[in-house]
Amino acid sequence: MIDRFNIKERFIHWMVAICFIYAALSGLAMWSRHLFWIATVLGGGETVRALHPWGGTIFALALGFMFRNWASQMKLDSDDKVWLKMSHRYAMNDEAGAPPSGKYNAGQKILFWMQSAFTLLLFISGMILWFPEIMPRTLRLGAVLLHPLAAIGSIGGIILHIYMSAFAVPGSLRAMTRGSVTPDWAKAHHRKWFQQTTKIEDERAR
Amino acid sequence: MQTVAKLIDTSLCIGCKACEVACQEWNDQEFTLGTFGGTYQTKPELEHNFWNLIKFNEYETAGQLSWLMMKYQCMHCQDAGCMKACPAPGAIVRLDNGTVDFNHDNCIGCGYCITGCPFDVPRLSPTTKKVYKCTLCSDRTAVGLEPACIKTCPTNCLTFGTRTDLLRKAEDRAVELQADGSTHAGVYNPQGVGGTNVIYVLKDASNPESYGLPKDPTIPWTVSLWKGPVKLLGSVIFLGGILGTFFHYIRFGPKLKEEHRDD
Repeated sequence: MIDRFNIKERFIHWMVAICFIYAALSGLAMWSRHLFWIATVLGGGETVRALHPWGGTIFALALGFMFRNWASQMKLDSDDKVWLKMSHRYAMNDEAGAPPSGKYNAGQKILFWMQSAFTLLLFISGMILWFPEIMPRTLRLGAVLLHPLAAIGSIGGIILHIYMSAFAVPGSLRAMTRGSVTPDWAKAHHRKWFQQTTKIEDERAR
Repeated sequence: MQTVAKLIDTSLCIGCKACEVACQEWNDQEFTLGTFGGTYQTKPELEHNFWNLIKFNEYETAGQLSWLMMKYQCMHCQDAGCMKACPAPGAIVRLDNGTVDFNHDNCIGCGYCITGCPFDVPRLSPTTKKVYKCTLCSDRTAVGLEPACIKTCPTNCLTFGTRTDLLRKAEDRAVELQADGSTHAGVYNPQGVGGTNVIYVLKDASNPESYGLPKDPTIPWTVSLWKGPVKLLGSVIFLGGILGTFFHYIRFGPKLKEEHRDD
């Protein structure tokens, strides 16, 4: 087994995930009347209106920690750029000739930057929508458009993220639950990272 | 049922504020002292427990100061921005007689209606965390009575009736005022919000801003975009994302590491 995420990383990830799911569901409840039944499930419209901003705030703060921990590992290198050009083939499970990925592939890196940007937009517009009685009208008019747009991008990204980790790439989920992956998994999906980590371990063993 | 409306003939308003008192009394609202803005106005703006405000607009033409007194309240728009923005089913309802009414049992207090309103009318109560505005005395009109403000108006500046009748009456009055010398007199019934159930006769309809009324109010475009195309975009992305990933799995399946072992 190769360690992939330590307990701190996993804890923050799941803090982000739980708050995101609550914020997304309660947000969807207030987004369309057809989805207002979600509010009923979550304790009623007034409860959802009161708690959604708090769920969102904790989500954004936790994501801030996540950003601080991971941002330095998420820079796209030259291999990533080649990988991206071939990403349509990656999507069809045809990876012949694709450059090997580091700890994160280019898709994961882009998801990271996109989610961070969307969260920043959600946080700013959310703060404006939280206090309609004191926020200037112009800001509120911008926020009612920005908040759902950023949320759509963010939820869209997370649908893909959940699909990739839980369904499309078997063996990924345990990296975030138990913290480790099998050497085969690492070699198959993140070969550069696999080579680096095994080299370090070899040196340590010596 | 016919749409009912309120006609406000600003040329007849004497600023007695009887309508303000009647509104407070009928709706059983406490009067809270506010800030003094240096004018004769009772309050600078509408409040969650103050739904009817006579604005004493001070307006200067050719060195002469005039008072443009103007009763300000919910306009009961035909195409209401508050209703468009509201996420809670049944919180803002349109009654059979055309009145836009708030149902506080269903209001969740998000305040989106405040942003959706082109006239900046709804107000959030800090205590109940719900939004309030003029109801056109729906509890009076339901039993055939006219709204309290109209009942009390001593100068016939305010009239209650069907929208069709009042529009005709307003046009007649505007012609009368024009004949009297107010050449720009006209009716304020803005089409940008599909017309309003509160109709004004203004002595100078070419400049409604001088009365504190927006010239060409519409539902804010960001609100229309948010409740229209953005909603569609969201549905496409959410449903497309879920169905797309599902059928991707059906077509391509999971990435099996065995396939990469040979390298």
